[in-house]
Amino acid sequence: MSAVSIRNVSKAFNEGKSNQVDALREVSLDVEPGEFISLIGPSGCGKSTLLRLIANLLEPTAGEVAVNGKSATQARLDQDYGMAFQQAGLFDWRTVRKNIELPLELKGWDKSARRARAEEMLQLVQLPEFADHYPWQLSGGMQQRIAIARALAAHPPLLLMDEPFGALDEMTREYMQGELLRICAATGTTVVFVTHSIPEAVYLSNRVVVMSPRPGRITKIVEVSLGVERTEETRNQTPFFEAITAVRGGLRGMHAAHVGLGNDDR
Amino acid sequence: MTSLLRRAAYRTLMFVAALALVVVIWEVYKAFGPVDGGKLFGARVLPRTSDYAMPHVADMFSRFNRPEVRGSDRTVFSAVLAGAWFSFRLSVVGFVIGGTLGIALAVLMARFRWVQRGVLPYLVVSQTVPLIALAPLVVSWGGKVEIGPFVWPRWLSAAVLGAFLAFFPIAVGTLRGLAAASASSVELMQSYAASWTKTLFKLRFPTAVPYMTPAFRLGASASVIGVVVAEISTGLKGGIGRLIIEYAREATGDPAKVYTAIFGAAALGLTMAGVVIAADVFVMRNRPKENIL
Repeated sequence: MSAVSIRNVSKAFNEGKSNQVDALREVSLDVEPGEFISLIGPSGCGKSTLLRLIANLLEPTAGEVAVNGKSATQARLDQDYGMAFQQAGLFDWRTVRKNIELPLELKGWDKSARRARAEEMLQLVQLPEFADHYPWQLSGGMQQRIAIARALAAHPPLLLMDEPFGALDEMTREYMQGELLRICAATGTTVVFVTHSIPEAVYLSNRVVVMSPRPGRITKIVEVSLGVERTEETRNQTPFFEAITAVRGGLRGMHAAHVGLGNDDR
Repeated sequence: MTSLLRRAAYRTLMFVAALALVVVIWEVYKAFGPVDGGKLFGARVLPRTSDYAMPHVADMFSRFNRPEVRGSDRTVFSAVLAGAWFSFRLSVVGFVIGGTLGIALAVLMARFRWVQRGVLPYLVVSQTVPLIALAPLVVSWGGKVEIGPFVWPRWLSAAVLGAFLAFFPIAVGTLRGLAAASASSVELMQSYAASWTKTLFKLRFPTAVPYMTPAFRLGASASVIGVVVAEISTGLKGGIGRLIIEYAREATGDPAKVYTAIFGAAALGLTMAGVVIAADVFVMRNRPKENIL
């Protein structure tokens, strides 16, 4: 059973009106359990839309989305996934601990169970001493780690991330990538990750899904064979650069099509 | 915390300094201004400086200590204090009614767009109705209310008029706050399959707090104004509004007296604002500083 199964999904905004936008057209994709998938492409290629369709924050115009073998709606109601955004989006008025407990609170967990789980998550993201701080007292990278802890607090099998490291500086960003891989390996979580950065997509993923705009569709899927263990060394190795070149090639081909140099399919 | 205290001390100092400046300007003008006032094209633009038009500040304060009427053992101070206390309680009642109503309206408007479209223009229009025109109406309506053992007391009309002024800023401020939650926080709550009510209490209200506290400050002073004006225009006995009217009638013989009642009204407004600001500081204690509007 796939962790995520997307079948011939299309999404149009303002359907039937003169300003209709085809955000996605006829997209199909399967994500295997435990897999790390990145969605990459220029703005307007529908990668965030695709993520929101998986999350059931949007309904597809056509086609089917299944998460964990259920309809996307059922999966959302069952909280089968956790979500993290570019802005950590922690609640200012809650302590770090209380922020992590939020999804558990909404699930109706009792206080001691919530507290124990929050403690566990704080250990996982290695910030146990910040439990009683408020989010605005933490650095951007720390806030993002807390957001990941919150997203994983209910132990969902799937993690959906929308450019979570987009607002961080390069050094923090690379550190966070390592942290994310460590956390996902420790929990066995499947990840769908939206990003603008080619090296980030390659470093993190088993497969990089290259998308193109107008209408949004998948143009290429690059398999990344960097093995399970990825370290800072990985960033200096040939397979890393080869994968980067492959992804860049996918993106560039699309650029050529846009300026009318390649096969214009419009 | 120490910086907070220092800021509070600084503010208090500035407040006192501003007050002292007003006293100085008053006394300097009284000493050196034209005795008969300043006239421009036959209209008096500057006040007379006589003791009747402008009593000494010291006289105003010493008036507090003397009896309210000759031969009475009740000082003006205790009369003003009693009046201010009476009006304060009415203002609190008005503020609570107005606050409850304002928040309830804001929630309804945030929940249903059609309510917002239908109601918001009328809320704006309601605030253009002069309170003095409304006061006798509310009193006469109140007089007809009798539900079982409940009989509408006269003071409740004044409190309702306070509420009428207080609810508007509170409704508008709360509505703005409820709409201020970021798109991604709303998506986050959606991803947790949280109901609208859960989202309201766990996300929207906490987000609204920095918008609501200044609205409450406005509402509190509006409630005081509503109550005092209602007391004056309906002739309700016992409050500071009535004292202002009564003392003003004695202005020819006892010009300093009316100022004691005006000071009482000012103190009442400041107390009300102080209570709300203290509550404000308390609820905002764990918020990032830049969030405090």
